[in-house]
Amino acid sequence: MEKIVVHIDSDLEDIAPGYIENRHKDVAALKEALTANDLEVPKVLGHRMKGSGAGYGFDEVTEIGRRMEEAAKAGDGQSIEALTARLEDYLARVEIVYD
Amino acid sequence: MPGKDHILVVDDDPDIRRQLSGYLEKNGFKVSVAGDGRGLRAVLDKGRVDLVVLDLMLPGEDGLILCRNLRARSDVPVVILSARGEQMDRIIGLEMGADDYLPKPFHPRELLARVKSVLRRVRSFPNHLMSEEETASYRFSDWHLEGVSRKLYSPDGKQVPLSGSEFILLRIFLNHPNRVLSREQLVEMSRGRETDPFDRSIDMQVSRLRRRLEDDPKNPLLIKTVRSAGYVFCARVQKGGTLLGVE
Repeated sequence: MEKIVVHIDSDLEDIAPGYIENRHKDVAALKEALTANDLEVPKVLGHRMKGSGAGYGFDEVTEIGRRMEEAAKAGDGQSIEALTARLEDYLARVEIVYD
Repeated sequence: MPGKDHILVVDDDPDIRRQLSGYLEKNGFKVSVAGDGRGLRAVLDKGRVDLVVLDLMLPGEDGLILCRNLRARSDVPVVILSARGEQMDRIIGLEMGADDYLPKPFHPRELLARVKSVLRRVRSFPNHLMSEEETASYRFSDWHLEGVSRKLYSPDGKQVPLSGSEFILLRIFLNHPNRVLSREQLVEMSRGRETDPFDRSIDMQVSRLRRRLEDDPKNPLLIKTVRSAGYVFCARVQKGGTLLGVE
């Protein structure tokens, strides 16, 4: 599996791993919401990811969040499922380098 | 922790709260966090807060309404955060009394710079306006501005809340009555050498100040707009025992 190397400010070294850990929890919550056909969870989590990801240095999380929020607003479950898979894949491959 | 500025971060996203509290604490601030309007009020009721970092999209009460209510009860500076990021949100945020606006996502270093900048702005004056202006009191059109306490009193003696930025702007006008001041001059005088990313923010502040002074924006008597030139403060101003702006 090809790694995705992300360079992050050393100021954020204490909290960046926790941020990634929380996104793993998001993946679980999103899968559960998809099963229950609940669009509120992807809307809220998408909005949060959009607002926080790039601030930590994870631009891809912001992009996924932006698309997920839009998909949830449009009631597009298929896109939410694809974006959840994209997030899961990203989390599995991301490797943090602190500068 | 005496001596540390106390920042209150209001955001419903726990990751943002964690990131900002960690980052700001590392940089010498005392930080409290809240997830909604109720939490914000609880912290404010407990003690002094030097600056509020406020997210716009909160569960329950909207951040813009919270900002407006906050401004009505206190002059604590507010920096708004929002993932909405629309220009209209930015304008409304500034109109509601925010001192600065930062769209999400943001690097915490940028927020830190803005927090420091706002605190500096509301607490100090550029060098050429220091000293005497810091303590002077003013009277104009039956209004009264106390320099030391930064309190504004209306003609009927009611105290009118002013944000730090509004106070600074009013004091600039009071020091230059009956003289046209361009937007650039107002920005320069209010912020010294700092640059402002929002060109229209000075207009927003003038608009807010007019409201504080009960000056009808359609037909203002105190702060008049001079087309293509800027603004002029139209009043006889008494600064301490001296009458200003009288030829």
